[in-house]
Amino acid sequence: MADPVLASMVHALGLETARHYTAATPKIQAYRDSWVKLAKFRDGPVNLQQVEVSDPAEITKQIKTKAMELGAAMVGICRLQPHMIDLGEDLPHEYVIAACVAEDYEKVIHGANAVEEEAMRTYAKCTEIATELAAYIRNLGYPARAHHNGGSEVQAIPIFYQVGFGELGRHGSLINEKYGASFRPGFVTTDLPLAEDRPREFGVQDFCMHCNVCMLNCPGDAIPKDHVMTHGIKRWLIDLEKCYPYSRLRDEYCHLCVDVCPYNVKPHPETYKTFMKERKQIGYKTPKSW
Amino acid sequence: MEKLYVNEIRPNGEVSTVGLFYSYEEAEGIVKKLQELPEKRSCKYEITETPPRSAAITPRREKQQAEK
Repeated sequence: MADPVLASMVHALGLETARHYTAATPKIQAYRDSWVKLAKFRDGPVNLQQVEVSDPAEITKQIKTKAMELGAAMVGICRLQPHMIDLGEDLPHEYVIAACVAEDYEKVIHGANAVEEEAMRTYAKCTEIATELAAYIRNLGYPARAHHNGGSEVQAIPIFYQVGFGELGRHGSLINEKYGASFRPGFVTTDLPLAEDRPREFGVQDFCMHCNVCMLNCPGDAIPKDHVMTHGIKRWLIDLEKCYPYSRLRDEYCHLCVDVCPYNVKPHPETYKTFMKERKQIGYKTPKSW
Repeated sequence: MEKLYVNEIRPNGEVSTVGLFYSYEEAEGIVKKLQELPEKRSCKYEITETPPRSAAITPRREKQQAEK
């Protein structure tokens, strides 16, 4: 188990692994198996006949169109910077492409397993997109590696921010103005010359200073009131010791911090209203499917 | 479990929190890895039991406005 906090908590309970991982539904397990199967195709041989790129903007348009055709809802590109790479890993590529798939927010009405299945569905789709996009770029004659749940050396949040998907929210997930925090990523790192996107700020961090809905709904009180600063960006550091008893050590998923986030409302106002009414009736801090 | 904050102190004095860790071993391991990065050679690191005070650190937007 790569996560030392979770490993320590699992060990203290006398378990072999986190209950959340062993209690998967057959559908969830099938999604997990799908990215394990695709792991060996993350990287591969590069076409020796390299396509000449005279206009990075044009090839970028082509790559983004390809990713959207494969099923991405959002595609963003930036230069790969050291803080975007896992510590201790060496990734010799110039650019990173983020391709995201949106989750169906309506699943919140159907309980924790429905939300988890939807999350795994989107991760599986992201894995397919990243795998195919990397192969497509290698066929153009440029090195490219896919990063997804089956294997990754990149950090999602700094890349999301840099490509302009949105801003970091109090619950620790990045918030987009269209999809809220209901989306999942796959990445491709490459040397193909591309045009970069830019960070965008639209008031999320200021909103999170006063909203507190995620903090008030967290069953483990894992979301702090105060923030720290990292390179000029506010971060509310989630206390994993308080989060994991609900998100990893129960059979069912939690994910409440994102599900109650008001930024999910725009396309789903009625669902959000119904969901929040349910939260109020059972007590805000009650975990899902309790 | 212990709760430890790793803070990066840049040459200009700016404090940036790397993250929250749950043992000295883990926090020290992160500091060691960061110190091995060429772009971080001029930075100093501290491990603290309390988070740095948010108000004491100037957010980027306010800093930009102050510089205008």
